Amino acid sequence: PGKGRVTGVSGEGGVVPLDPSPSCLDRIPRDRFEELRKACDEEGELRRQDGPRPRAGEEADSSSRPPAAKRRKVATKGKRPGKQAVDELEAQKMRTLVSSMSQEQLDRYEVYRRSAFPKATMKRLIQTVAGSTVSQNTVIAMSGVAKVFVGQVVEEALDVCEKWGETPPLQPKHMREAVRRLRSKGQIPGSKHKKILFF
Amino acid sequence: MADEEDPTFEEENEEIGGGAEGGQGKRKRLFSKELRCMVYGFGDDQNPYTESVDVLEDLVIEFVTEMTHKAMSIGRQGRVQVEDIIFLTRKDPGKFARVKDLFTMNEELKRARKAFDEANYDYGS
Repeated sequence: PGKGRVTGVSGEGGVVPLDPSPSCLDRIPRDRFEELRKACDEEGELRRQDGPRPRAGEEADSSSRPPAAKRRKVATKGKRPGKQAVDELEAQKMRTLVSSMSQEQLDRYEVYRRSAFPKATMKRLIQTVAGSTVSQNTVIAMSGVAKVFVGQVVEEALDVCEKWGETPPLQPKHMREAVRRLRSKGQIPGSKHKKILFF
Repeated sequence: MADEEDPTFEEENEEIGGGAEGGQGKRKRLFSKELRCMVYGFGDDQNPYTESVDVLEDLVIEFVTEMTHKAMSIGRQGRVQVEDIIFLTRKDPGKFARVKDLFTMNEELKRARKAFDEANYDYGS
């Protein structure tokens, strides 16, 4: 499988390029995803193998985890033909994807979706800098953007880590190199210095 | 400088709006718990290094600070609004998409709530 990451940039939706044959269908999904799985079963989207294989438990082992396998690139495209249909299609794809995840992937995915900055702390931070009160929507927007920011840094840092032939957990040097790269791509605000074009 | 010998003394908001650098200040950690979860969700190890999380926290605070300052200088001056954030992230597809999504969802919710309220009003409740 190609290397890719879950960036989740579009929140609920997102076009997901799925592998032609979903692998690892032998584990028991969690109760909360049971409904999703049933939905997929009914529509016959997945080809299941004959009988479940007993879980070896090795895939959940961090030591043997291949970094590339659990990440998929989620790309967003602007679509015109019937937004409702597109949303439903994307939701269907997400369900298919989720139902073919390993337990470890499910764990990580759940944390990925649920993790968020505490609103009160973020509000305090913004108001301290702004010197005035800000609306709740602003706090929500800023928290959302900050989370995307963290995702971009971590993704880049994981790239750096892999490139340097090292393994997670990430170290500060990976983070700093990631920031350096993102900054040169213009994805990090803050440099008040004008770029010197001709010297 | 901040006194670290007394851990029970809360140093809230100290130097939060501080300089543009990574800021290895002695400020209290604001997002440690949440960031640890977040980096795991994004692909790091389940037990990330504290130092790495600290670096990230400084980055986030710097990011939010920068965004806030910029937002105050555009649109309605001195205020930070969602429209400002949308404008500021326009060149970054990842961030822009997320903000647009949140904003659109919010508008939908407002519309739905309004329709709901009007329906209730019609029934005289």
